[in-house]
Amino acid sequence: MNRLTWLSGTALAIVLAFSSCKKDPLNDLTNDESRIYISNYDTTASFSSYKTFSIADSVDVIQDNQLQGRQVTAFDSTVISSVSALLQQRGYQLVSREASPDLAVNVSRVYSTSTGIFSYTDYWDYYDSFYDPYYWGYPGYGYYSPYAIGTYSIRNGGLEIDLLDLKNATVHGNKIVTVWTGLARGEQVFRSANAAAEVQALFDQSAYLKN
Amino acid sequence: MRSLIRKYSGQSWLKVGGMAAIILMSCQSLHAQNELQFHIGYNVNVPAGSFRDLIDKPAYKGFTAGLAYPVNQQLSVGLDVGYNDYYQKFPRQVYNDGKGSDISAVVSNSVQQFPLLLTANYTLVKKGIIRPYIGAGAGVNFISFDQYLGEFDDPHSSVNWAVRGEAGFLIPLSRTSSTAIRIGANYNYAPFNKYGVDNLDNWGIHAGMRFPIH
Repeated sequence: MNRLTWLSGTALAIVLAFSSCKKDPLNDLTNDESRIYISNYDTTASFSSYKTFSIADSVDVIQDNQLQGRQVTAFDSTVISSVSALLQQRGYQLVSREASPDLAVNVSRVYSTSTGIFSYTDYWDYYDSFYDPYYWGYPGYGYYSPYAIGTYSIRNGGLEIDLLDLKNATVHGNKIVTVWTGLARGEQVFRSANAAAEVQALFDQSAYLKN
Repeated sequence: MRSLIRKYSGQSWLKVGGMAAIILMSCQSLHAQNELQFHIGYNVNVPAGSFRDLIDKPAYKGFTAGLAYPVNQQLSVGLDVGYNDYYQKFPRQVYNDGKGSDISAVVSNSVQQFPLLLTANYTLVKKGIIRPYIGAGAGVNFISFDQYLGEFDDPHSSVNWAVRGEAGFLIPLSRTSSTAIRIGANYNYAPFNKYGVDNLDNWGIHAGMRFPIH
């Protein structure tokens, strides 16, 4: 094969190797863009019929579907104050719990833990993650681990805000119905600096939530 | 939460294709015009049809490669493999399902296509500096489809049939070798019929090289 063909073929292979890389969408997201805001509401509820609300002064901490307790961190305080302010802007009056409010507001931090295991033998056999032993100066050698299994756990969470219908609890058969839920998830969702913006985003997509 | 593990990855495809290209480049070229031929090239593809509802930006990451056996001086049959990576991110928007749910998210769509086609190509002119050709292919299309809402994704993979029409021209590099520059355009018909998308049709242009091999 002449030089021209060899050089052009080599250049082509280099270009193709570069061009064949797959774009990773996760690397193209800022922390703000990584977050999603989900709101659900009872389509039969009349939000203009509610006049007053009361909000809990602490946040529920739920881990893997179990209540761990109640806390008030800097993040929690900002969320509570933001929700209160926005509801008042929407025409609802803040009252104490003893004043028979129409709506109760509950704020939660919900966490879930997922656990995984990986096999060390798969790690170098199937994932090709270890360099060939030739790289370390041991051509023809193989890998061995006295322990076969590794474990890891990932904890992720979301902010949840619930509006509960106290006004019609009796009408609903002694049931307090959730009429609105706002959920925020993603990177740095529990960062204090993001708290107000997250609450604002949930309210912005809930234009029906007004007196 | 980071993305879930996909059912299969395109990385093994890319490694095999790259190694094959490097190995085959060391082969000697021959005077004979009917030796097995290998071609490899860079291609850019643009979504068409309902594919544009998902992504309307060109895919600049792609390649095409294949083997062809010359039946005669003008007709060759073979096998082609390709790869295209399509990606597009949309600004944050609120999506309403009409049933009381709203989701505010930055949506990112990511589609990879790996067509594997049986092909036939016909060179219209036997001699000359520029030799036009036309071609067609049919086979299977391995599809990886992933949609991200923020950082949360929902990956899927599927296999569908695919058809391709192609035209272009060859520029031989010497009179004694069938090594040639290969440039052309193609249209790919790629049915999908999933997730509200009828097809992943696309058209593209490619440029590369053709090498004779033993």
